[in-house]
Amino acid sequence: MKRVIEGSHAVAEAVRLAGVQVISAYPITPQTHIVEILSEYCAGGTMNARFLRVESEHSALAALIGAQSCGVRTFTATASQGLALMHELLHWTSGARLPIVMAEVNRALAPGWNIWTDQTDSLAQRDTGWIQMYCEDGQEVLDSMLQAYRLAEHVYLPVMVVLDAFYLSHTYESVDVPAQEEVDRFLPSYQPRFQVDTENPCAFGQLVPPGHYMKMRHDIAGAMEESLNFLNEIQEEFYRIFQRRYNPVEAICCDDAEIIFVTSGTVTSTCRLVLKSLREKKEKVGILKMKLFRPFPVVMVREAVSRAKKIAVIDRNFSFGASGIFAQEVRAALCNVREHPAVFGYIAGIGGLDVTAELLEEIYWKTKNTEFPEKESEWMGI
Amino acid sequence: MTEAENTIPLLIPCSSISTESNKTGSWRFLRPLYDEKTSPCSAACPAGEDIARIEMLTAQGMFKEAWETILRENPFPAVCGRICPHPCETVCNRGEFDEAIAIHIVERFLAETASRYDLKPALSRLTAKKEKIAVVGAGPAGIAAAYFLHQLGYYCDVFEAMPEPGGLLRWGIPLYRLPLPALRNEIAQIESHGVRIHTGQRISKKFLQDAKSHYNAVFMGCGHPRTVQIGIPGEGISAVENGLEFLKRLRHGESISLSGLSAVIGGGNTAIDVARSIVRLGGKASILYRRRRRDMPAFEEEIQMAIEEGVELRELVAPVKITEDGGQCMLTLQEMKISGEDNRGRTNILPDEGKTRELRVQRVFKATGAGPAEDWLNPAEKPGTSLALTNTLLVRPDKGPVLVFGGDLTNETKSVVQAVASGKQAAMAMDILFQDGFEAIVPKLQACLVGQGPSLSMEVYMGGDRRSRNSHIVSYAEINADHFQFQPRISQPRLLRGERLKSFEEIDLKISTNLAIREADRCFNCGICNQCDNCYMFCPDIAVIREKGNQERCIDYDYCKGCGLCVVECPRNAMTLKEEEL
Repeated sequence: MKRVIEGSHAVAEAVRLAGVQVISAYPITPQTHIVEILSEYCAGGTMNARFLRVESEHSALAALIGAQSCGVRTFTATASQGLALMHELLHWTSGARLPIVMAEVNRALAPGWNIWTDQTDSLAQRDTGWIQMYCEDGQEVLDSMLQAYRLAEHVYLPVMVVLDAFYLSHTYESVDVPAQEEVDRFLPSYQPRFQVDTENPCAFGQLVPPGHYMKMRHDIAGAMEESLNFLNEIQEEFYRIFQRRYNPVEAICCDDAEIIFVTSGTVTSTCRLVLKSLREKKEKVGILKMKLFRPFPVVMVREAVSRAKKIAVIDRNFSFGASGIFAQEVRAALCNVREHPAVFGYIAGIGGLDVTAELLEEIYWKTKNTEFPEKESEWMGI
Repeated sequence: MTEAENTIPLLIPCSSISTESNKTGSWRFLRPLYDEKTSPCSAACPAGEDIARIEMLTAQGMFKEAWETILRENPFPAVCGRICPHPCETVCNRGEFDEAIAIHIVERFLAETASRYDLKPALSRLTAKKEKIAVVGAGPAGIAAAYFLHQLGYYCDVFEAMPEPGGLLRWGIPLYRLPLPALRNEIAQIESHGVRIHTGQRISKKFLQDAKSHYNAVFMGCGHPRTVQIGIPGEGISAVENGLEFLKRLRHGESISLSGLSAVIGGGNTAIDVARSIVRLGGKASILYRRRRRDMPAFEEEIQMAIEEGVELRELVAPVKITEDGGQCMLTLQEMKISGEDNRGRTNILPDEGKTRELRVQRVFKATGAGPAEDWLNPAEKPGTSLALTNTLLVRPDKGPVLVFGGDLTNETKSVVQAVASGKQAAMAMDILFQDGFEAIVPKLQACLVGQGPSLSMEVYMGGDRRSRNSHIVSYAEINADHFQFQPRISQPRLLRGERLKSFEEIDLKISTNLAIREADRCFNCGICNQCDNCYMFCPDIAVIREKGNQERCIDYDYCKGCGLCVVECPRNAMTLKEEEL
């Protein structure tokens, strides 16, 4: 049923439909709307789930690690400082192979205190072993959440579904909220391959010798690779039920494009307008929308940009002393390709600054009129 | 692919080998202990009642055990639940959180429950001793002394001048505060243990001289039944009556009717009792006190209720003359003024020279303090070696039996619970004297103090479980208030003001079992383990052992690594963390 809801509520509806059994979170703007409505669902009986109130994000994730180890489906949501506080346990979650799903609302890190959108918080967690999906609109948020559970519980890795603060979390849009039966067809109940069982007591997470440890890490790497395949596989099934599909990357008009924007999050929507207007002016431009960041879809990126001359990567984040993080990843994906387009890095919309159509058009002309990138990153709108 | 066919490599650190061989206790340098401490209420209770435990048992629905816990320290729960000024509640730690526990209401509930179900307490009695003891006066002090002496194994005879036991409780406290059935029931209960009370037997000076042949000691608990003279002209006229005498006439069942205004001189509880009785008899009452309300020895709650009932209070006036005036009285009142404080913090007053006024009243009641019935009963006048204790005076005359003075004869604060305290102290002191000698009295009493004293515990003296209690008094700062939620104190259901004035019906009404349990459940149980199991829940090493059917918890030091979580999370400071001895 189509409903006009916030991006935050799209997350909450997905959590409800997924039949999550344990929720634990600590409030933080701009995430709070998600758990606010979920707490109401739990209190009012709409959801048959335990809502654990805790004193910090660290404890929220710790609580879920315990709950998920007992073989139930779990959920948490956070942003910015909250995610940073979880850092230690992010590693633990993936190392313990617990398929926890989290909604992460991209918000700038302090100081200066800033509640607006910025991707640095989630991207800074890229090495923690969490799958990361970035969403463009409310519908994609809801759908990604459902896919996240399916994927996590197959590869035994945690998934972070990432959405932009306010542009997505607090914006009301039309979202098709599917019926429970439809969701049940796509997402069966969680059947864990391991769990705490009082009949057969065992200990998890204890000391292991280096050889075993390396093998465990290798298994995680393998599961990450497999997640890319599995995500592709389930799109067909998802489409049959919901008539929507999402690929790890979406290549828009890339076949004949000479310059390709690389975008993520809500910037993609703005860029679609710019693309339309530039195409009307006969400019050969395309967009590569990055939905999946971890695992990084290297082959798909190489394929999508193989015919372009230049790439303009829009980064709403920055790795100090290096460059925009998407730009780094794209460069790394291309460096072993003999002939590849030049990669232009643009830093835009930091700390919630608007990334307007005019700014994106300016980036296009700047890229077109520059032979070769003069520096790793160009800070726009400053 | 179905999940059953999922073959994604999933090597995780998981072991089903027991970790019991890893004795994490070897890491410990701090040792948590179950270390029960003293609650501030029990230390403030002159009878030293184990209040934290009483509330715990009540909250658990163990009413008989709770009642017996009171009886180990105080034979008068029905009386004290009603008329004790409850100093315990003033120091209640919960008062710093929201409101103090209504300890006296719960106490009365327990006594009433025991009475309703005709419960018989299981109290221990030590082996019989050869010494016999006489008790003079069957007031609360005398009865308490006999009750405790009986528990300690002594044969006791209580001699009472009046036709019925109870002392001031029977003849001096108005019925609206202490109804007769409650008192009679409680005394009958005490007698059923084996305390013998001989009524209608006034003790003479000669009795004391002859007592040596029958008794090894005599407890003097004959109180202060006689009103002290003020020493002003006109005091003797017929319209002037002693307050205590008036109350006694009422309690004898005499029907008295009053009209017009009566003056009550004094600021103690007797003055309040007289004034409140006057308004019930159809008169008006004006209390005349030479200091201010805040200086009155009467209990504040009583003063408050008297004023609610229409009693007038005139402060800073002292009657200097009473004259008869056509069947009425004319009181000449000297206005007083404050002149600083004495070294005990009591307000000093001086006549405000030249300022007098007159007050016309129907009757005058004197309630300006009381003394012993006869001068020879005054403890100060006895020869021989004596030992002054907190609530009693022990005298070893050159001739005759050992005398122990107690109750109002020696207590500075005249209240029923102080009387019980003195009866208990007397019983212990006599037992020590007979068993271990005079020199042992002070050190042995010292070992039975509740907290820092002066309250004494008979349970400790008799070797009960309470003797392992640490004397440290738990402060509010030592309570982990995170484990409690705000909940208002029960409000005492009472007769409406209009109903009160019509009769001598008891004002405070009974409360239901539900309310009693809820109120007792508010108690922090400072310093004692109520099996809340926070220690068990928070222990990260599963090193807290609770055995089935056993209320005790213990720590498995093979695995306790001394993190101290149990001690921090104990809401009531019933645990202590100590450095390991190397």
